[in-house]
Amino acid sequence: MTTKRGLITDSFKVVKKARRGGKRERKPSPPPPQNECDGELLPEEQLQKLRQFDLDWRFGPCTGISRLQRWERARLHGLNPPEDIRELLQTNTRPEYNHSLWSEYPF
Amino acid sequence: SAGPGLRPRSGWSARRAPAAGRSTVMFSDLNAQKEGSSLLSCPPSEDQAPAIFERMSLAYTPCSERYKVGERSFSRQYAHIYAARLMQMRPLLSKRAQEKWGTDVCIRKLCDLQTGEQCCIVGTLFKRMELQPSILKEISEEHNLLPQPAPSKYISETDELILEDELQRIKLEGKIDKDKCVTGSVIAIYGAERSDGKFTVEEFCTADLPLQTERPTLTTDRFVLLASGLGLGSSHADSMLGLQLLVDMITGQLGDLSEQSGAATISRVLLAGNLLSPSTQDKDASTKAKYLTKKTQAGSVDAIRMLDELLLQLVASVPVDVMPGQYDPTNYTLPQQPLHRCMFPLSSVYPTLQLASNPYQADIDGVRFLGTSGQNVCDIQKYSSLDSHLDILEETLRLRHLAPTAPDTLGCYPFYLKDPFILEECPHVYFSGNAPTFESKLIKGADGQEVLLVTVPEFSSTQMACLVNLRTLQCEPVSFSAFSAGEDEESEMNISH
Repeated sequence: MTTKRGLITDSFKVVKKARRGGKRERKPSPPPPQNECDGELLPEEQLQKLRQFDLDWRFGPCTGISRLQRWERARLHGLNPPEDIRELLQTNTRPEYNHSLWSEYPF
Repeated sequence: SAGPGLRPRSGWSARRAPAAGRSTVMFSDLNAQKEGSSLLSCPPSEDQAPAIFERMSLAYTPCSERYKVGERSFSRQYAHIYAARLMQMRPLLSKRAQEKWGTDVCIRKLCDLQTGEQCCIVGTLFKRMELQPSILKEISEEHNLLPQPAPSKYISETDELILEDELQRIKLEGKIDKDKCVTGSVIAIYGAERSDGKFTVEEFCTADLPLQTERPTLTTDRFVLLASGLGLGSSHADSMLGLQLLVDMITGQLGDLSEQSGAATISRVLLAGNLLSPSTQDKDASTKAKYLTKKTQAGSVDAIRMLDELLLQLVASVPVDVMPGQYDPTNYTLPQQPLHRCMFPLSSVYPTLQLASNPYQADIDGVRFLGTSGQNVCDIQKYSSLDSHLDILEETLRLRHLAPTAPDTLGCYPFYLKDPFILEECPHVYFSGNAPTFESKLIKGADGQEVLLVTVPEFSSTQMACLVNLRTLQCEPVSFSAFSAGEDEESEMNISH
């Protein structure tokens, strides 16, 4: 068919886009006050650090085992995994801390 | 544990090869008739006490904890076991490489490799094999052809050898025999990368034997009997006579007084797998309709009952270790867990019955035994040009790994923390079961290690078992085939009517 095809925004005006933008603005605002009180890394930064640990190839594959198990294995084999990672993992027991970056992907 | 009373019993005579001119004591020497056979002498009178030979009991420490699988989680990938293997082996191999090629040898990771630079790389071998069976290939290439018979070996001209480290892989060429190598071995190679991206190997080395604890000096001869592949429950029962003779020999029901006193020096019996015959694993039940197989009994039920009765005769007289094998009713993947006690209502009441794991590891009177029921060796035989079970056994010891081909072509539990098949301590006796023939060899390591390698023959086809002298670390076969050729030198206990 060669008929001119309109954009989807022709029939659905850009109302949603505006709403999304609004949501995004709202989202980051709640966490900062909590973390400013802690005086430590933001959760997002902590998680970023843990993700970096997941992606460090020296400590072996990260799927299927918890981050702490992977850390313990690295220590067992004398690979000197960073100590602050273990502290992070032991103080936070929530699943997003404990499980690896890929834990939600089925393998 | 009191020794058994061994009474003379007439009806058998033994013929054996002359045992003169030997400096060390073999089991057959102990049995040599000293002052004529007691079998033809008149029986002892009623008031005379019957001869009693006390069986020596040995210190025994099982060391198989590393082969126990506690939690069983099969959700993990096998990448972990390879990663853990490389983590554990890298320091060992770096040390070996420095010993071999000098302390200033440049050990590189593949990602830092420079073309043309002479260096050493530690990594895991992977052999790409055209003929390796693959279920995905079978499904995708269905050409309506009849299934081909499985070849005895899967090696071919087109095989490629590849070395992998944590991040990358590189094809290998040069002085390394790809047919002898198997997937999963961790080695160190020395050479240089060529401009076409392949690595030319000049030399390579393996982790070689680990350190060994010293063997205690024993004052008397004592023996451990190794047997495997009893093959109970097979449709042809021709091995039963030999098996009963074996049991009677161990329990001292066979031969004259001197032979019975010899039997008392057998201090332990180790059964290395495949107690049941492969024919007990009938696969009909899964393919036939339920109503047809409703009343039938699994083939292994009778065989296990027979095994229980056989073990009962043994454990009443001697400590017995029972390892499971490929065809025995336990888990299939290595490490195989001990058979369950409830299958042996008669013999399991005796404390002398030890249901062990496969691989097996124990200290018997200070002598470290390590071995498997033979799956690891048979698998390497299929995927390499090596044929002799003894050579393969030695190769695994040099690689410092019990089963390098696990998990690639050999079933294996998905470990993540460490690879339990890496040898951390050198055994004194290293064996594998279910071999086609009996072979043994004493090898010496660079650090003074002494290891006896034994391939335990499959009893159902060879009618042979073997005896290891714990004092001298020598090994000799015992044959129970009634109709073998007379001049066979090995048939020293050849029983004839």
